[in-house]
Amino acid sequence: MIRYALVKNRSPVHAVKSVLEKMLSQKLVDAILAAARNPYSLLPMPTLFCDPGKMEGIDPLAPVAPFNAARQAAAVTKQPTGKRIALVLRPCEQRALIELVKLKQCSLENVILIGVECLGRLENQAYIQHASEVSDFTSVFYKNPDMQAEVTRACGVCEQFTPAGVDLTISLLGAPEGGVGITAETETGDTLITQLELAVADEPESRAAAVGKLLQGRIAARDALFKATVEKINHIEKFQELIATCLSCHSCRISCPVCYCKECVFITDIFAHPPETLLRRAMKRGAVKLPTDTTMFHLTRLAHMSHACVGCGHCSSVCPSNIPVADIFRTVAAQTQALFDYQPGRDISEPIPYLVFEEELSESSV
Amino acid sequence: MTAFEPKIIALVCNWCAYTAADLAGTSRLSYPAHIRMIRMMCTGMIDSKYILKAFLDGADGVFVGGCHPGDCHYIDGNLKAKKRILGTGKILEQFGFEPERLRLRWIGASEGPEFQQNMTDFVTAIKTLGPGQTNNRMVL
Ligand code: SF4
Ligand code: SF4
Ligand code: FES
Repeated sequence: MIRYALVKNRSPVHAVKSVLEKMLSQKLVDAILAAARNPYSLLPMPTLFCDPGKMEGIDPLAPVAPFNAARQAAAVTKQPTGKRIALVLRPCEQRALIELVKLKQCSLENVILIGVECLGRLENQAYIQHASEVSDFTSVFYKNPDMQAEVTRACGVCEQFTPAGVDLTISLLGAPEGGVGITAETETGDTLITQLELAVADEPESRAAAVGKLLQGRIAARDALFKATVEKINHIEKFQELIATCLSCHSCRISCPVCYCKECVFITDIFAHPPETLLRRAMKRGAVKLPTDTTMFHLTRLAHMSHACVGCGHCSSVCPSNIPVADIFRTVAAQTQALFDYQPGRDISEPIPYLVFEEELSESSV
Repeated sequence: MTAFEPKIIALVCNWCAYTAADLAGTSRLSYPAHIRMIRMMCTGMIDSKYILKAFLDGADGVFVGGCHPGDCHYIDGNLKAKKRILGTGKILEQFGFEPERLRLRWIGASEGPEFQQNMTDFVTAIKTLGPGQTNNRMVL
C-alpha cells in the first residue's frame, strides 16, 4: 500500500529540512546522510548528520551533485555499526548503491533509503553561479522551466527520475506551492510517516500528469541521443575521432559509481609497458600514440561495467576534454542491458548477469 | 592485388581445444596457418580485455575454444566464458566489428577432426568477410 503525505512549509527546501530534522530529533534514526552546504561553499556535499541542530545547510533537493554519492553512501554502510542510518539519495545514486550492495561492497542492513525525485542537476560551476545570485536557488529552480532546461545532457535524457524501491520518496512533481510529497513504499516507510505525524493526503491529481509529461519528453530525448550517438561510434574510425582528445586521465573511471574494482587494471603493471613494448608496437604499425591503449581503456570499461551503468552522467561532467563519455556509455549500455534483460538498481534480488550461468547455454548463439 | 590472408587469434583451453589441436597435429590433420593459438588454463579466465586487445591490435577474427558444458575442469569456467563473450560481442558490434568475427565453440580433447573442421570453417568465414576495420589503421 502506497501512502502519500503532504508537508508544507515556507519552501520545499524548508519542508524537507523539517522532516529530516524531526527524524533525528525524535531519534527515529541515528544519522542521516544528505547533501548539504557547509560554511565554506555553496556547493552541497554529501554530509553525515547526527545532530539535528547542525542541519542548517541541508538541501537534498538542490539541483546539483558534485559527484555520484553512492560511494559515500557505501562508505558509511560497508561495515555494520549497529546504528540506524537514513540515506537521502537521488535516483541514480540509489540505483548505483543497489549495484554496490550486489557486489557486497556495502549493505542495506539498518539503512533507511530516502529517494529524492530529481528533475536533473546542473554542472557544478553553473550551479554555484546561480546559487550565488539568488537565495534559495533550489526553490527558484523548481518554479522555472527555463532553469530546468539547463540540466546536464545525461539528466535531460534520464527517464528514471522517480525513485523506486526506496522506503520514502520525496517528490515535487504535482505538489502544491511550498510543499513536498512524501510517499511511503515499504512498511518501514509507512511506519516512519506515522511516527513523524505527517499529514496523510490523497496524491494530488496533477501529479500523475506531470510525471507522465516529463517521462514522455525524456524518452523522446533519450532515443534521439541514442540515435545520434550510434552514428558517432559505429565504426572504429568515427570512435577514434570522438575520443581523439582523451588525455587518459581516467577521471571518468574514478567518478563512475559502478566501476567497482578496488584497483583498476589500467593502473597496474599490465598497462605500464616497458620501453621495448612501446618500440615494438611503434615498429609494427610505423607509429603509436602515447599513452597507448586509450581505445582499449574505454572498451574494456564498457565490457566490465556497462551492464551496471546508471546513466548519472558524472563521467561526462568530469572530463577535462569534453568527451561525451556518458552519451557513449548510456548508448552502449542500453544494448548490453537489453541483452541480459538487466536494469541496474531495479531490484536488489536481481543477480548481476555475469555472476549467473545457465547449464543449457550452448555455444551456437555466439 | 594479393589475396587477403587473415590474422586470427584462437584462445583455447588447455584441457580440451588445445589438446584437440595437439591431437590434430599428431594425426597429421592440417589446418590453415592463419590461426595463432594462445593456450589458456580455462576459457573462464578469458577476460574481455584479451578479446578487445586482439581486435584493436588488428586481428581479423577471434576464436575461443572451450570444453563442452559439464566437462570444464573448473566446473563452470566455460559457462562464464559464454556469458562474457556474449557481452563483449555486443559491445564490439556497436563499434563496427561484425559479430561473426568472434566465435565460441566447444571442442573436446579427443575431437581432433572437429578442431580441424572448426579452424577451416572459421578461416573461410573470415576470408569471406574480408579484412577487419583495425587492419592497417592506427588505433589510439
Ligand atoms: S559510466 Fe558514466 S553515466 Fe554510467 S554510471 Fe558510470 S559515471 Fe554514471
Ligand atoms: S575523463 Fe575524459 S580525458 Fe579523462 S580518461 Fe575519461 S574520457 Fe579521457
Ligand atoms: S577447463 Fe576447458 S573451458 Fe574450463
